[in-house]
Amino acid sequence: MFKNLRAKLGKPASVKVTPWMLWLGFLGLLLLSALVTGILVFWQGLWITNLTDLVPWGLWITIDLSSIALSAGAFSLCAGVYLIGLKRYQPIARTATFVGLIGYTMAMLALVLDIGRPDRFWHAVVYWNMHSLMWEVTMCVVLYLTVLVFEAMPVFAGFEWFRARWPKIAGKMEHLHYYAPILAILGLGLSSLHQSSLGAMYGVIKARPFWFKPEMSVLFMFSALVGGIALTLFASMLASRLTPKAKVNDALIERVAGFLAWLLIGYFYFRAWDTFAQTYTYDPGRTEGLHLVTSGVLSFNFWIGEMLLGILIPMVLLLYNKTRQHRFWRMMALFLVAAGVVAYRWDTNLVGSLVVVSYLPGAAISYTSYRPSLVEWLTGFGVIAYGLLAFSLGVKYLRVVDHTLVSQEHETVDVKAGEVVTV
Amino acid sequence: MDNKNVNRRDFLKLAAIGVAAAAGTKAIKPAEASSEGPKGEHQWAMVMDQSKCTGCGYCTLACRAHNDVPPDISWNEVSEVGQLDGHIVYIARPCMHCEKAPCVEVCPVKASYYRDDGIVMMDYDRCIGCRYCQVACPYDARSFNWKAFEEPNPVVPEWGEPEVERRPRGVPEKCSFCYQTIDRGLSLGLTPGVDRDATPACCNVCPTGARIFGDLNDPNSNVSQVLQKHAHFRLRENLGTGPRVYYLPADPEEMEA
Repeated sequence: MFKNLRAKLGKPASVKVTPWMLWLGFLGLLLLSALVTGILVFWQGLWITNLTDLVPWGLWITIDLSSIALSAGAFSLCAGVYLIGLKRYQPIARTATFVGLIGYTMAMLALVLDIGRPDRFWHAVVYWNMHSLMWEVTMCVVLYLTVLVFEAMPVFAGFEWFRARWPKIAGKMEHLHYYAPILAILGLGLSSLHQSSLGAMYGVIKARPFWFKPEMSVLFMFSALVGGIALTLFASMLASRLTPKAKVNDALIERVAGFLAWLLIGYFYFRAWDTFAQTYTYDPGRTEGLHLVTSGVLSFNFWIGEMLLGILIPMVLLLYNKTRQHRFWRMMALFLVAAGVVAYRWDTNLVGSLVVVSYLPGAAISYTSYRPSLVEWLTGFGVIAYGLLAFSLGVKYLRVVDHTLVSQEHETVDVKAGEVVTV
Repeated sequence: MDNKNVNRRDFLKLAAIGVAAAAGTKAIKPAEASSEGPKGEHQWAMVMDQSKCTGCGYCTLACRAHNDVPPDISWNEVSEVGQLDGHIVYIARPCMHCEKAPCVEVCPVKASYYRDDGIVMMDYDRCIGCRYCQVACPYDARSFNWKAFEEPNPVVPEWGEPEVERRPRGVPEKCSFCYQTIDRGLSLGLTPGVDRDATPACCNVCPTGARIFGDLNDPNSNVSQVLQKHAHFRLRENLGTGPRVYYLPADPEEMEA
């Protein structure tokens, strides 16, 4: 017996290191370092970040805003499929729902890190200040996250192990699919509200002239639509290249990508006018903010990250038939769009704080700076690693990216009461 | 019009350092009590005479002691804003206790709220530490507790004894017009702004009497009288926040050498 055991221990089973394991290991490392630094943040408080009284919102809020924006594929594609009736895009909406669920939980994680009293996060739901856009955003996000959980139930029901173990529950979860149109209406309403209110949250702040403008909500809504759809398509394509578990219908993706190109034109129109309109007349604080964006510390981000790589190049790549049909160029374009939206969120959040308008009469406008600390980066990467891990597991075990599922999901089965449904 | 109060030559000079930008339009308008917002029996306000302020900073220190404020935070910041006929002009900035306070409007949990007497209060037990109020305040009146303040307060007991609980880590804090002193004083039948025991610490400690406190609803109160007679301005008036802190622009003839 001992011999047996020794033989087992002594001779290590030849474990083949697969790319999947390397990927998990890499994400695990990021998560571990985020866990350590996250505990440090809760234990020590926010003084270990580079946030200050002048720049109270930094990297974490950018991750928060970006993950919500890039989740916008969920509500828009679900509305397209279940409300407008573009049924054949249903498999993409399925992926988008899952991506959305991940995005919103990422946002929650980033927020818990960011607020000074994470132990009181529930206050936002209990104590209402209906004047506050942040209250409105919080309520919408909480409610929409609930909707997303219901929308994603049929996806979770597809988990083989779960289905084998609790077939009844899995059947019930799957059944929620029949309520998809109602959930899509709820999702559309809640998302339209909070995606634009996130912009308005900045837009109503009179103390920060660069933010104080009505178009903030329009820009946030538009960029979220563009970025959310782009990320969903990109994630589907990337998954299909990396694993046989993900099966995509390329023609379907290409058509949505073509639609995205036209959305990008709309986004470009609003974004360009937003910038041009501010070049006229001097407005204390706002003009300085514009300078930061067009020729100051944020100018590379703006011209290259947002405008050239984030809008113009992908717009051309997706409008031109040859590059849109070419998988690599399409993927590249989709990735650039999503990254451009992140750049927009980063620039917008920072520019309002970096320009310091003094309350002292006659004082000159000054600038401050912000660079995230290592703690902020490590925890931030951890939040992103969580998102990547969740998506990878979804692709592997829940067939999140599987365009062949379309016919099965849409079949109606006559079931007697109490009967176990197996598909 | 009384020449002593509104002196055109001085106003032009003030404009040079920017102070009169706000004062010019409001110079001869009487102080208005709140038109919107809180409507209590009292409407507290503070008036600071720039001619009398010497920038000694006693107000900041007394405030720190009475409200147990950490050394790296000032509820009442004193800054130099320029020179007038060789005299340095200062502005002390407590919380403005705005009539239409951006912080109250944006707070998601109503941790910032108006009292009936116009004081903008903070409920430190309700605040979640999102810092939206800080982002929204046009006066930088709010400071976040990035770190827990656990050491003994270096200005205690020299500048006074703490009268309120220390704020925990993770919430922003700001001036409260010493509401604890006002409330206790009123319950003893005293008049804030007249009786020391009912008046904010910064006003009591000021060696030159540059800070006046009182009730805007009472036409005979010190602040109402002063605001009726003197030209005055408020900070960032164009934003429409309606601050309850007024400034009397510096007049070199009244300033000491």
